[in-house]
Amino acid sequence: MQATKVLSWKSALMGLALLFLLAYPWLGASSYLKHLFILFFIWSVVAANWNLLMGYAGITSLGNIGFLAIGGYTSGILAKSFGLSPWVTIPIGGLAASLLVTLFLGLPALRLSGIYIALLSLIFADSLPSLLTQTRGITGGAMGLHEIPGFLPGMEKVHAYYISLAFFLAIQYILYRTVRSSTGLAFVALRDSEHLATTLGVNRFKERLKVFALSSFLTGVAGGVYVHSLGDISPTTLGIEPFLLGIAMMELGGIGTFAGPILGSAVIVFGNEFLRLAGTLRLALLGALICGIILFFPGGIMQLVERVEKWLRRRFNKLPPPSPGSRSHS
Amino acid sequence: MANLINAIVSGLIAGSLYAAMALGLTIIYGVSRVFNFGHGIVALLGAYIAWLFLGQMTGGLLAGTLVSLVAMFLFGLLVYRFTINPLLKKPGWETSTVLFLLGAGILLENVLLQVFGPRVKSIPSFLPGGLRLGAVQVNWHELSLVVIVLAAIAALNAFFKRTRTGQAMRSVAQSIPGAQVVGIDIDRIYGLTFGLAFAVTGFSGILLGTKYYLNPHIGWEWMVKGFVIVSFGGLGSTSGAIYAAVILGVVEAIAVLYLSAIWVWPIWFVLFMVLLLLRPQGILGGRL
Repeated sequence: MQATKVLSWKSALMGLALLFLLAYPWLGASSYLKHLFILFFIWSVVAANWNLLMGYAGITSLGNIGFLAIGGYTSGILAKSFGLSPWVTIPIGGLAASLLVTLFLGLPALRLSGIYIALLSLIFADSLPSLLTQTRGITGGAMGLHEIPGFLPGMEKVHAYYISLAFFLAIQYILYRTVRSSTGLAFVALRDSEHLATTLGVNRFKERLKVFALSSFLTGVAGGVYVHSLGDISPTTLGIEPFLLGIAMMELGGIGTFAGPILGSAVIVFGNEFLRLAGTLRLALLGALICGIILFFPGGIMQLVERVEKWLRRRFNKLPPPSPGSRSHS
Repeated sequence: MANLINAIVSGLIAGSLYAAMALGLTIIYGVSRVFNFGHGIVALLGAYIAWLFLGQMTGGLLAGTLVSLVAMFLFGLLVYRFTINPLLKKPGWETSTVLFLLGAGILLENVLLQVFGPRVKSIPSFLPGGLRLGAVQVNWHELSLVVIVLAAIAALNAFFKRTRTGQAMRSVAQSIPGAQVVGIDIDRIYGLTFGLAFAVTGFSGILLGTKYYLNPHIGWEWMVKGFVIVSFGGLGSTSGAIYAAVILGVVEAIAVLYLSAIWVWPIWFVLFMVLLLLRPQGILGGRL
């Protein structure tokens, strides 16, 4: 059983993908493509953390881009104005995001039914741009922060690529362990039968706060990686388009699965070029895409993959059985 | 001092308009427990439909309003039947309806942008002139808006208390199994509720359009205020929404007087956060 698990086609695919990602810059990637990959690494972390909240813990959080922004701005301001090293400021940015958000959003809203956190986080994310504009002196206002120092002096795209790849792998690993930890089990229990889980001692509020704090921290860290890899951040990151893109990444890949957000963000980041061709219809298309997926294909790409897998298994009867717990809900 | 009184009066007027807008939201939530995240766009759509009829004929605004009411009612029915209904049948509908309505709202907003263009439109006020009571300046137009809103609230009240459909809606809001036991068709009531709420919301959009400038983006601002108001009043409580709307309208006006208009969003956020910390069920106690 262990042998077939290790050798399953999914692990093989992941191994190949990892090798490809590690070797890619040497295969002669253009600067633009390296840039896209960096965006993919960062956005897939954002999507994966968002999915941890929405898909696994069942928290309808709409403010995750705000976590990214807080982490990014904090790290950028500290590095630029105080000359601290990004390796120090990024965790600080993550902590700032996590503290602020857990205090102002998590504490008030997570005790209550799902709709409140959705409302509060939406309003929160919408208030951030006006706060940023008001604090022009520190945050650069509507123009944003520019020329944020990179991870190393004289950093090149290729360094940023590997550093963000490292963050991507580390954070995905943390998320993987979280889903399989007692916290992940707590949410499965809560979903199956909230009353029974509560009588067994599962504290819904505490577990929700935990994942909220973790996910906002990691998203804040991703924000730090974002500013130090790309050098700029502005209030447009908090606009409607990144928000929709984030949701599309989760929905397209498959909410509630582990690989879903990663696949979804790959499709969206690399497919964004096509979206740009649509010009002013971009947002309408995104909205239509999200509506369409929710109505007709709620499980996203992973649902497709599962269907194909089942079909193949029926046809050939030779593939190993699926590993248990690969999906959090059917 | 005169400024403060004028601010309060302005806030009362804005509050009554907000109340009209929040009604649709609380009606849908109260009956079907679906929170309409595309609420602002619905209001805007109603306003734009009425706007089309302006200047086309005499009494254009009235004709536009009637057409808008009917169109929005039908639109609500269709939205329920073809999109919300299928989603409600699957598990995890709370999240899926939220994301779906958000996406649909943005889709609609951009369609409106394409069709009507980004330049602001307005629906002209229908009564010129105003009134001075000492230091206070009020327009007849704005007063008439308040009267219209009061009339609409009274009409809705009568609808819910006296007609069978209205009573059916109230019973579904109270208890779905109970309503089913007495033979009410839940699906049909949900559809009618969406239709009614969309019509009311579109109507409130027309009213708002006479006071504020219309552009596709203002829908989000109305929506967010609607959210806070509805929660303040207590989710599911229509009278709560009305009181909350008036109170918050005044609070907003005073805050804008002493701070600047840029702080509007953060103010609403803080108000909401404080509400959730202190009294999440709202003034009149709604569903948590």
